[in-house]
Amino acid sequence: MAPMVWAQAVHKSYGRLEVLRGIDLEVQLKEVMCIIGPSGSGKSTFLRCINHLEKIDAGRLSVDGELVGYTEKNGKLYELPDKEVCRKRAEIGMVFQRFNLFPHMTALENVIEAPVRVKRESRASSDARARTLLARVGLGDKIDAYPNQLSGGQQQRVAIARALAMQPKLMLFDEPTSALDPELVGEVLDVMRALAEDGMTMIVVTHEMGFAREVGDSLVFMDGGVIVESGKPRDVLADPQQERTRAFLSKVL
Amino acid sequence: MTDIASGSPGPAAPAGQRPEAVKAIPVRHPWRWVSAAAVFLIAADAIYTLITAPNMDWSVVGRYLFQRLILEGVSLTLALTVVAMVIGIVLGAILAVMRISPNPVMSAVSWFYIWFFRGTPVLVQVFFWWNLAIILPRLGIGIAPNGPWLLSASTNELITPFVAAMLGLGLNEAAYMSEIVRAGIISVDQGQTEAAQALGMTRLQVMQRIVLPQAMRVIIPPTGNETISMLKTTSLAFVATVPELYTRAQQIANFNFKVVELLTVASLWYLFMTSILTIGQYYIERYFARGSQRQLPPTPFQRFRQLLFTFHAPPPGPPMMTTFPSEHR
Repeated sequence: MAPMVWAQAVHKSYGRLEVLRGIDLEVQLKEVMCIIGPSGSGKSTFLRCINHLEKIDAGRLSVDGELVGYTEKNGKLYELPDKEVCRKRAEIGMVFQRFNLFPHMTALENVIEAPVRVKRESRASSDARARTLLARVGLGDKIDAYPNQLSGGQQQRVAIARALAMQPKLMLFDEPTSALDPELVGEVLDVMRALAEDGMTMIVVTHEMGFAREVGDSLVFMDGGVIVESGKPRDVLADPQQERTRAFLSKVL
Repeated sequence: MTDIASGSPGPAAPAGQRPEAVKAIPVRHPWRWVSAAAVFLIAADAIYTLITAPNMDWSVVGRYLFQRLILEGVSLTLALTVVAMVIGIVLGAILAVMRISPNPVMSAVSWFYIWFFRGTPVLVQVFFWWNLAIILPRLGIGIAPNGPWLLSASTNELITPFVAAMLGLGLNEAAYMSEIVRAGIISVDQGQTEAAQALGMTRLQVMQRIVLPQAMRVIIPPTGNETISMLKTTSLAFVATVPELYTRAQQIANFNFKVVELLTVASLWYLFMTSILTIGQYYIERYFARGSQRQLPPTPFQRFRQLLFTFHAPPPGPPMMTTFPSEHR
C-alpha cells in the first residue's frame, strides 16, 4: 500500500533563497509525524507544499499515491487544472498557526461552509455533523459565537473542527499552539491527541516536545531546508545522533 | 478594612457587597460652553443675514420647492444616480476581480478599461454617448465589418438622453469603483484566502464567500462617498438633455431670472437626498461590522444622547448599545 505522504528530493526556492534543499520522507496511514526545528528551517513551507499552497521546484511529492499538483503521463509532468487541485485539497485538512477562522461567520458557519460549498452537501447533514464536531472539541455551547468572541484556544479548536468537517484523510498542523497563551495550549493538544487516537494520519509542525514524545509515531528534525535527523520520538529526543540536533534540543527542552 | 485588620487575604470588601460607587465631581469644561456659544452666534448671524438678504425672494424658493417640474427633476436625478451606481458597483467589482486575476488577458483588459475611463473627463464621456449617432447612425451585430446586419437599430432610438447619461456616468464610475473594490480585496488578510483554499474552495468561491464579505468594511465608506458624489455629478446629464434637478432649476431660472432662488431649491433637494444616503450608509456599515467589532457602533440617536452627556460630564457608565445583532443570524 502506498504511503499517505511520500516525498523524494523536494526542493523549493523563493527567488534565490533555497528553503527546501532535498526532503525525503514517508508518512504511513494512521501515522502521526511531528516535525521540529528552528524557525526558517523550512518546516512550514514543506507542510504547505503537501496541499499545494506552494509549488515545489524539484523532486516528487505525492499524497495517497497521487502526485501533488501534477499528473505524470509518459514520463512528462502536466500541471493539474485548478479544479483538480481544489478537489485534492478538499481531502487534506490544514490548521494554521494564526487560526484563520472566517471572522464574518459564526463558529457553526465556519464549520459548515466547506462541506456545503465544496462538497455540495445538504445543509441539514453538514449542520448536524458540524454540531457533533464542535461538541467533540468541547465547544458545543459556542456554536453561535463569532471568532472574536472566542479565546485563542477556542478559535483553534473551531479551526480543527472546520478542517475535520471535510472528513480529510490527512491532517496538517502548522504550529497550531504557537500563537496561544501557555494555559490554552493544553486544550488544543488534547483535541489533537484524541484525533491521533482515532487513527487520523497527521503531520504536525510543532515546538511542543512533550506532545511529540507522547503522541508522535515519528519525529523529524529539520534545519536549513534538509532533514537532519529522524526516528522514533523517544530515541531522537533522548539520544540525538547529530550535533545540530543536540544543540537545538538543549535549547528547547 | 476589617479583612486587613484580621489578616485574612480576601477581597477588600465583604463578599456579596459592592463598595460604594465612585461619585466624583466631573472636570468642568467652561471653554466648551464659550466656544459653543461663539459658534452658535456666528452661525445664527450667517443664517439671519442670508434669510434677510434684501434681494433674496424666499417666496420663490417656497413656491418652487415642491413644484411639479422640480419634483420630476428630483426623481430623474435619483433614478440616474441609482442606475449609474448599480452599473458602477457591479462592473467595478467584476473589473477589480479581473484586475487581480492570474489570467493575463483578464487583468490587461481591466487595466486598459480603468486607464481609459479614468483618463477622460466624465463630461466628455456623457457627451460622447449622446452624440454617438453622429458617427454611428446604426448599432447592431453584423457578420463582418461593413457586412450585412443580423440585428440592428437606429442609434438615435437606442441611445435616449437617459441611456446616454446612464452609460456615461455608469461606465466612468465603474473605473473608480474597481479601484475601491480592489483596495478592499487586498486589505483582507492573506491567511483568509489560504484557509479557504486549504478547504478546497475555488478562486471564485474564495472571492464570493470569504474575501468580498470582509472587504465590504473597507469598500463601503468610499462607495458612500462615490454615491453622494454621483448624486451631484448627475447634473452633467444636461449635456445629454436629461431634465434632471439641476437642469430643471436652470431652465426655470432662465425665464424668471430668479437664479439664486432656484439654485437654492436645487441645493436644498441635493442636501436632503445626501442626508438620506448618509443615514443609509451608516446602517449598511453597521451590518457589515458584525464579527469584526465586539460592540457595534452606536446609532446616530444613541450617539446624540451620548454627546449630550459627554458635553459636561464623563460618558455615562454602561454603553447603551446592544452587543450582537442576533437578528442578522
